[in-house]
Amino acid sequence: MWNQFIIYPFTNVLLWIYNLIGHNFGIAIILFTILIRLITWPLNAQQLKSAKVMQDLQSDKDWQDIQKKYAKDKEKLAQEQMRIYKERGINPFASCLPTIIQFPIIIGLYQSITHALAATPLGLLQLGQSIYPFLNAAILIPLNSQFLWMDLSKPEGIPFPAGMSVPFLPYGFPTLAIIVAITTYLQTKLTMPPTSQNPSDQGAAMNSMMSIYMPLLLGYFALNFASGLAVYFITSNVLGIVQYASMGRVNWRNVLPGAKPQPATTGRKK
Amino acid sequence: MKRWTVIPLIVLASLLLSACTGAASSSTWPGLTADKDRVYLADGPFVYAVRLADGVKAWQYPPDKAGTSTFYSNPVLTPDGQLLVGSSGHDYGLYSLDPASGNPKWAAPFTATDHWVAPPLVVGDTIYAPNNNGSLYALKLATGQLLWSAPTTSGESLWGSPTTDGKLIFVSSLDHFVYAVDPQARKVVWKRDLGGSAPASPLLASDSTSVYVGSFASKLYALDAATGAVQWTAPLKDWVWNAPALVDKTIYTADTSGNVYSLDAPTGKNTWPEVKPDGAITASPVALSNGVAVATETGSLYGYKPDGSALWPPVTIGGKIYTTPVVVDDRIIVAPMGAQYLLYAVNAKDGSLLPWHFSNK
Repeated sequence: MWNQFIIYPFTNVLLWIYNLIGHNFGIAIILFTILIRLITWPLNAQQLKSAKVMQDLQSDKDWQDIQKKYAKDKEKLAQEQMRIYKERGINPFASCLPTIIQFPIIIGLYQSITHALAATPLGLLQLGQSIYPFLNAAILIPLNSQFLWMDLSKPEGIPFPAGMSVPFLPYGFPTLAIIVAITTYLQTKLTMPPTSQNPSDQGAAMNSMMSIYMPLLLGYFALNFASGLAVYFITSNVLGIVQYASMGRVNWRNVLPGAKPQPATTGRKK
Repeated sequence: MKRWTVIPLIVLASLLLSACTGAASSSTWPGLTADKDRVYLADGPFVYAVRLADGVKAWQYPPDKAGTSTFYSNPVLTPDGQLLVGSSGHDYGLYSLDPASGNPKWAAPFTATDHWVAPPLVVGDTIYAPNNNGSLYALKLATGQLLWSAPTTSGESLWGSPTTDGKLIFVSSLDHFVYAVDPQARKVVWKRDLGGSAPASPLLASDSTSVYVGSFASKLYALDAATGAVQWTAPLKDWVWNAPALVDKTIYTADTSGNVYSLDAPTGKNTWPEVKPDGAITASPVALSNGVAVATETGSLYGYKPDGSALWPPVTIGGKIYTTPVVVDDRIIVAPMGAQYLLYAVNAKDGSLLPWHFSNK
């Protein structure tokens, strides 16, 4: 089911773009990522709007009053929070619903790139079996996986000088993994929502952790897996920043080391 | 609310991404070969030698789990008593093992710049090894030292084992071409566009005048071995993945839609009515004393007489069979993926499943 409805259609669109632009898989990944971002733009916009409403609520006087008043009575606090939601017409789940809807798309996009970059006989056989008849698979295969200095089907690395080797960097200097880590860090920091100055605010602590773990995690993927995925990560990160910036949600000051998370400075009032 | 809902989802997505992503050398079907005493199976981190007598493991290489080596290429037995097997892992090594003990025979494996899918060819005291990087390497058989290498192609992968007529080395490529390399001059003397990728090994005619090779263009070609000129083309219904089998003057081949063909070698004419077992076929048909056996993706083994009728009822083995079976005496050894056992044996005479199997557990 997952393959038939997500992976195979995505792969065929990816290959269709690849065929259309003259057999450059790197450009195809970038264009496909942009296409998916455009399709999911309304969902992202909805998510950001809902998040903004929830953030504004954190600084609302009524909201803060009930937090203090019922700090020791969780049940009553929940009732009061629901009352405020109801009175103001806020759906507390509205910000996470678009995210949930987007996850299958993001994971499908990611898997379709891996699927198309078949590096083994079994991978190539499965790719061939999933290509729709409107694409001439015999002409398309093998995919041209060379993009700039990279072979997109392999982990990226610029070879070290002759005689030099680093045990944990078997593919050379990991340029792409570093760019993935930096862009992920930037996206996480720039799009981090404003949080309270309360040191016990677990949300702030979690956000801070995510800004460290996500760049490391995606940097690790880029270091060890096919570089086509790293191209996707970088494109997705840059587009995410662009989208947030266009909606006035980017917090440029958050990038500075030790900076407290700030609300958007370029923001338009929503 | 946002941060509390988004963070677990990001963690979940990270887990999904890491679980669903394969490293560059993710798994594929196993490699298989045999001599009169043992079956050699290249399956993931190990190469196994399994005794034909009782299905018991004789040895495995490496003795403990290796770091970067993964083995899927068909191992090759050499006349001087070596077992050659290339790694599909990031070590890019071509190994020489002692078939009796599994101990390495060379001082060090030969290391290329990419992994190995194609089994090498041994001619005299030279190994001809096609690599995924598109180069054909000539190595000294005794030591594995590099003699020369020829970048025969556009750099696209060489997945099929080479074959030779004693003068030229024929090797097919995913770049749609089959190449004839003169090992003395160390250069390509002809190449022929097959209209699609050719992971299949070329097959030499019994009189060495023709080379038969299939491709993803859904065709099987007969080429003049000396010049590469097309002698005939047989249209098939889907991709040809593996080498055809030649029995007398009949060529047996199959495609990924599951069709089996019996072609007249001089003309390329299909002599069978539609013969279509129950799944895609990537394994080469294997010649039996009384017909031919064909393994399918659906985990079954079919036997056919020379006239296309069933030799015996289909044998259901399980898993998915992509690897070409090997025949030893009257036993057909099969290596499915995802079945209960790694190896099974079928009686070639009556198609019965024998009480012989191997598991690494």
